Amino acid sequence: MSTRLSKMMSARRTTLISRKVLIDSLVRLSPLRLIANPVMLIVEITFFIVIAMALDPEAFPRLASSSLQVFYVEVALILLITVWFSTLSDALAESQAKNTANSLRRLEMEVSSKKILIEAGSRRIVPTPSRELRTGDLILLEKNDTVPIDAQVLEGIAMVDESLLTGESTAVRKAPGDDVIGGSQVLSDTLTAKVTVNPDETFINQMIRMVESSKRPKTPNEQAVTIVLIGLTAIFTILIGALLGVSLVLSLAADLSVLIALYVCLLPTTIGALLPSIGLSGISRLYKEKIVAKSGRAVETAGDTDVILLDKTGTITVGNRQAVEFLPFLEFNERDVGEAAFLASWHDDTPEGRSLIRLAYEAGFVPKEMNALDASEVYEFSASTRTSGVKLAGGTGFMLPKSGGTGRERGRLRRKFEPHVEGGVPIGSDETEIIKGAPDAIKKIVKSVPADYDKIVQEISAAGDTAMALSRNREAIGIVRLRDVLKPDIREKIMAVKVMGIRPVMITGDQPLTAKSIAAEVGIDEYQPEAKPEDKYDIVKREQAETRIVAMIGDGTNDAPALAMADVGLAMNSGTQAAKEAANMVDLESNPAKIIEVVMLGKQLLMTRGAVTTFSIANDVAKYFAIMPVLFASTVPELKALNVLGLGLNTAVLSALIFNAIIIPLLIPLAMRGVTFKPSGTMTLFLKNTMIYGFGGVIVPFVGIKLIDIAISLV
Amino acid sequence: MILVVAILSGRFLAPYITRVFSRSPSRLDKVLNPIEKGIYRLISVDPARGMGWKEYFLAALVVNIFQMAIAFIIFAFQGVLPLNPQGFPGLSWDLAFMQVISFGTNTNLQHYNGEGNCIQLPNCAALTPGVPGLSYLSEMMAVQFLQFTSAATGICVAVAMIRGFVAHSKDLGNFYVDFTRSLTRILFPLCFVASLVFVGLGVPQTLTGYHIVSTVEGATTRATQTILVGPVASLVSIMQLGTNGGGYYGANSAYPFQNPNPASDIFQIFLMLLIPTTLCFVFGQLTGKKRETRPILWGAYSLFALDLLIAFTPNLPVVGPGMEVRFGGFFSVFWTVVTTAVTTGSVNASLSGLNPLVILSAFNGMLIQATPGGKGVGVMYMVMFIILTVFIVGLMSGRTPEYLGLKITARDVKLVMIAFLVHPVIVLVPTVLAYSTGAAGAIGVGTSSIGFTKIFYEFTSAAANNGSDFLGASANTPFFNISTALVMFLGRFAPIGLLLSLGGSMINRKRLTTEAGVRTDSPLFALILVGSILVLVLLTFFPFLALGPILEFFQGHVNGF
Repeated sequence: MSTRLSKMMSARRTTLISRKVLIDSLVRLSPLRLIANPVMLIVEITFFIVIAMALDPEAFPRLASSSLQVFYVEVALILLITVWFSTLSDALAESQAKNTANSLRRLEMEVSSKKILIEAGSRRIVPTPSRELRTGDLILLEKNDTVPIDAQVLEGIAMVDESLLTGESTAVRKAPGDDVIGGSQVLSDTLTAKVTVNPDETFINQMIRMVESSKRPKTPNEQAVTIVLIGLTAIFTILIGALLGVSLVLSLAADLSVLIALYVCLLPTTIGALLPSIGLSGISRLYKEKIVAKSGRAVETAGDTDVILLDKTGTITVGNRQAVEFLPFLEFNERDVGEAAFLASWHDDTPEGRSLIRLAYEAGFVPKEMNALDASEVYEFSASTRTSGVKLAGGTGFMLPKSGGTGRERGRLRRKFEPHVEGGVPIGSDETEIIKGAPDAIKKIVKSVPADYDKIVQEISAAGDTAMALSRNREAIGIVRLRDVLKPDIREKIMAVKVMGIRPVMITGDQPLTAKSIAAEVGIDEYQPEAKPEDKYDIVKREQAETRIVAMIGDGTNDAPALAMADVGLAMNSGTQAAKEAANMVDLESNPAKIIEVVMLGKQLLMTRGAVTTFSIANDVAKYFAIMPVLFASTVPELKALNVLGLGLNTAVLSALIFNAIIIPLLIPLAMRGVTFKPSGTMTLFLKNTMIYGFGGVIVPFVGIKLIDIAISLV
Repeated sequence: MILVVAILSGRFLAPYITRVFSRSPSRLDKVLNPIEKGIYRLISVDPARGMGWKEYFLAALVVNIFQMAIAFIIFAFQGVLPLNPQGFPGLSWDLAFMQVISFGTNTNLQHYNGEGNCIQLPNCAALTPGVPGLSYLSEMMAVQFLQFTSAATGICVAVAMIRGFVAHSKDLGNFYVDFTRSLTRILFPLCFVASLVFVGLGVPQTLTGYHIVSTVEGATTRATQTILVGPVASLVSIMQLGTNGGGYYGANSAYPFQNPNPASDIFQIFLMLLIPTTLCFVFGQLTGKKRETRPILWGAYSLFALDLLIAFTPNLPVVGPGMEVRFGGFFSVFWTVVTTAVTTGSVNASLSGLNPLVILSAFNGMLIQATPGGKGVGVMYMVMFIILTVFIVGLMSGRTPEYLGLKITARDVKLVMIAFLVHPVIVLVPTVLAYSTGAAGAIGVGTSSIGFTKIFYEFTSAAANNGSDFLGASANTPFFNISTALVMFLGRFAPIGLLLSLGGSMINRKRLTTEAGVRTDSPLFALILVGSILVLVLLTFFPFLALGPILEFFQGHVNGF
């Protein structure tokens, strides 16, 4: 999916400056549209002044000269292009954001529903995509249907599985008047329900709608940067006004167009032009990661994260453990354990159960009681006993069970295995009960605990693995070593997080020894073992009390309070509605490891904004040196000594103006993709970027203006 | 040397000042507590009651305006008031208005000669009408009084703003209490000691009136010379200590009685630097983050060093007309840089005699106002610059900007930007007006780079509450009196109000105890701070500096306007 999407994106990139974007950028040149961007509005106003100068220099006594009409036209043109570069960048960022948002909308699960139409007293069922449902529509929900959208039950009573949404594993009984949640599943019976929301009001849609920049509220940081820009604009306006006044009272004969050129060069046009696109493309980048944020503010806050709570499962490890070793107790051998594991897991479809069967199979431990599996009684896993298992009636020798397992496993068994015990003789003529589960749970049900029980369990935990105990007929026979599989790259990611001065805290339900070992393996110093969902809330509260900014992920309903309290809460799309509503971001791909990317993105967004602002202000130094010598050239020629670049007197102003304009499109890619940075500490990043964009911002225009000057004088 | 001594003394004086304002018990309590309590009762103030920024600012404003009003009456009616042995007439209303604001705002721009026109006259009995001078009463009750109170006000508002940054503070303190204590416990004692030193160094302190003596050659020519004496020592102490700068004599510390020898010269430089430097340390101590003194101090002194570098670039010292030959060019230049760096405005040489680059450096000090700046307000300005730097440049660290663990909000940025904006407005607008209204031409200042420098300097000095100037008594015209008065008033109280508001808004704000943000106490930050201050300030004023001192330099003026 993601490769297809990225291909789609790159295909679109080639036609990025489409006609639509171009037209949009021209429409945005209207002064009315520019009101939101005061810096650019002022540039446009100066454009009209210079155009007026070009048309009628006589109307500007002492400020314009009719011999310079061509020059005025050139200046005016560059001014207009400067504004256009800015609107182009806006249009680009917005179209990009809309494109990514649309591709996200497509990602949203499409569920077909059965809409009930009542015509002339008779009911007719029409299959309808969920997105076309509207509030008040009646829908029919039958057994095994997925509820397409939030609705209220009108008729019927049914059991509904909401486990995916609420984390409540037992089915819920729904009667008229109850609400059913979109995404839950009907387990039995039939319901008629009335749709209570429009598809557009769904959560994701609400979040996506934020991208339209007209509706997008400015984040606090954006507001503050805007204030700096307005402040600088005010300062330069006073400065140029005073300079105009000084020129008149001291008879220094400055040309108004050169003054305007100086004015526009000093104005923070670069950041003024790019500020909206920086924020917007930050959100776009988030979308590309398939994450929707409720507000831009949350993204910024992510950059400030001090502590990051990582769920072990799904973030650090791939979510399921693999069986790697059978450890029998004293009077048993490996085969006993392997066979018991095989039997107990035959009906267990979890990845963990499958890995047990695979390990037993590969070691050749296929039990002869296989045929008894058909007639077995299955103990489903229950959270209260934390065990599962199987009870076998007497078997009749080696025969493949008719159910359970996957077709492939059954085929392989048939091909490879012959009964190694001469056929037909049932081993246990009585019933055999095999139970697997957490060591402490098994300990409670067995008749006697072997002497080496605790030792083996502890040894496994200490190694960071998980122990699973097996009992046969209430007799402990052995332990299976289950190993967590680390996610690829997780160690590097944790390293990066730590380098940036963020403390990762691992949350796991594992016991302390296991938790410690895994934490050590990936380089995490803090972990919360045997964590209950409420623990997350407590940790968030504790860290926040020490004024730290906490980022976390969550999916279940009982994560909701913690998600709501955390400064950055990333909910999984597979999670419950409550969790999604409490969080300020949702990951549509439900990959908890992305919380790290979110933090990096937040940092990048702030960095980019700071970099372009600093660069823009630092640029001004060189522009003074370019324009000041020319400004009063006719009356105070001594100031030519400031012409350190040796620019041509006729070309200096144009060079500075062109540089001022051209730097905007040159920085559009930077604004769109963000400042690239290597994970490192706050101070290092600060110093590095200050060198590049602050110091560099002073130097670059000197070089750039000189080059442009050379180019112009050649033409 | 002087700098190191000043910094070290600041370091040692700071804990005492911090204790004065945190109202910790001290040995002086026995003597001063009853006096202070008496004062509080007299003005019916509850010393325990804290104030918000609005109330604090209003109190400071009202008290200052009230004091200025008293001084105005003294100035205007000194002719009929006692202690006027020289028989000076009252000042004209516009001059009196300008002078009270000048002294009340810690500026001490003087459009008169303290000793009247006696320098030019053989005998003060025959004063030319219209050449204003100040009587002893005016010098002591109006000038010295305002020099004390304005200095005290500066310290108070700085401390109040700092209190906003202090964790768990509930208010900005009580202005009346701060004001009283800064006078009784800081300025009076320090000034007393300094006066004794000056008297020891030969500065006169007397009320006996001017002496008319025969000169040495008078034996043959029967010429007499008027010895201009008065309560000089105490005035010099507070003028330098309080970064006021308004001297007793028109020639200020270039006059032998105000500054008799190199020792007194050095001591005066030391006094100028003392309290502004101390307040840098007080910032760190009051906020409980001593390391945070570093960016303020380092920033201030690096900029100061830069000013010195600019000033000493030309092959100086050149002794030109108006230069103080007794100390040589070195001390004249050094003095000028110091006096503008701390916005004192006292002079020991005529500015007209200095190289344009020295003037450029002087401008630098006044435009930045935080190198280390005037009493109190220097620290406030530096905090303003730090917040701007942390906000703009600090964003590049990838975190939302914070200072002292406080997140910088859009409102803070707004306050800081407006405070920064005040300066260009009140310097540039009147500079243009001075020419367009013909006021500059009326006092004979031309449109050349030299003339422009003088006018630009006048308003820069007024806005920065510095007080040194080129024009002196020649600017005693209604236009310059009123315009500089307004500029001084706005230049003083507008930033104070805005930055007090900034401090006030920090109260009760969530403080991050994590030190994950940009470390403002690192030397590299101080360097970046200096860079961004230079860029910000120079961007704002460069064209005007280019038309003034820079142009003078290119035009080859060495000195002597």
